[in-house]
Amino acid sequence: MKIAVIQFPGSNCDIDLYSALHDVCNADVEYVSHKATSLDGFDAVMLPGGFSYGDYLRAGAIARFANVMPAVIKLANEGKPVFGTCNGFQILTEAGLLPGALKKNDSQKFVCETVPLEVVNNDTLFTTQYQAHERIALPIAHGEGSYYADEKTLDELEANHQVVFRYASENPNGSLRNIAGIVNKRGNVLGMMPHPERAVEALLGSTDGLRLFKSLLENGTVKTEA
Amino acid sequence: MTTVRIYVTYKQSVFDPQAESVLNAIHQLGHEEVKGLTVGKFFDLQVEGDQAAVENTVKEVAESLLVNFNIETYKFEVLEAK
Repeated sequence: MKIAVIQFPGSNCDIDLYSALHDVCNADVEYVSHKATSLDGFDAVMLPGGFSYGDYLRAGAIARFANVMPAVIKLANEGKPVFGTCNGFQILTEAGLLPGALKKNDSQKFVCETVPLEVVNNDTLFTTQYQAHERIALPIAHGEGSYYADEKTLDELEANHQVVFRYASENPNGSLRNIAGIVNKRGNVLGMMPHPERAVEALLGSTDGLRLFKSLLENGTVKTEA
Repeated sequence: MTTVRIYVTYKQSVFDPQAESVLNAIHQLGHEEVKGLTVGKFFDLQVEGDQAAVENTVKEVAESLLVNFNIETYKFEVLEAK
């Protein structure tokens, strides 16, 4: 499977994502510019963390209008895997591929630490290599990561098992229902504030993020063809 | 040319940590009589066209770009029409 890592002006976790996939997982991965208008030939797309367009207006709000976004949305609508971490998650909500929004952290502080998470749903194409309700630890680094959606949307997310990751101890940002990551209804678009790409080698302090990419590489093509 | 000011704020139902911080600072300043505060942003647009066309443009720009309806709301006023 061939994976695109999109580079927006201000992305700063693109190299981490590429390295996790290319160097650690031996995956077929390519950088794709925000100016590209087609993702033909790609089986999956990754939106990296960072501060695209300086987080102007709202985090992710300007990136939604990048040339490449119609192609990302097309790929998502085809049922192919789309993954966004941190700023990538913010872009996915702004683009309407995921419900809700990411607000400024309740504390008003930028949080940068490794936090415990619960894998709430291990039956997505991104999480099959985790155990149900397994506790893992992943780094977070964000100022606008407080997940918000109205009550009805939150209830729907829970009823459809769309909540994939939850903060398992202290809530670091005020996210409603401790939500750290969600998938769309179809299950092929995952957005999360934590950074699995920063936890793929023992040298980095944790390898808990590795199984997310391994799950995707194992399931990506199979499940989308079904 | 019409100058329109669009105000964007959080919905009342959505907690705004920034407004809370500023309100706390106002209380620290000694102004306990200040009981509430809304923080927002405004955008001044200079738009060509007649009044109906200007309103359409403003709504389109606000609703598809400036405002995230999950958390925010907006209003606008005409500052100057020449």
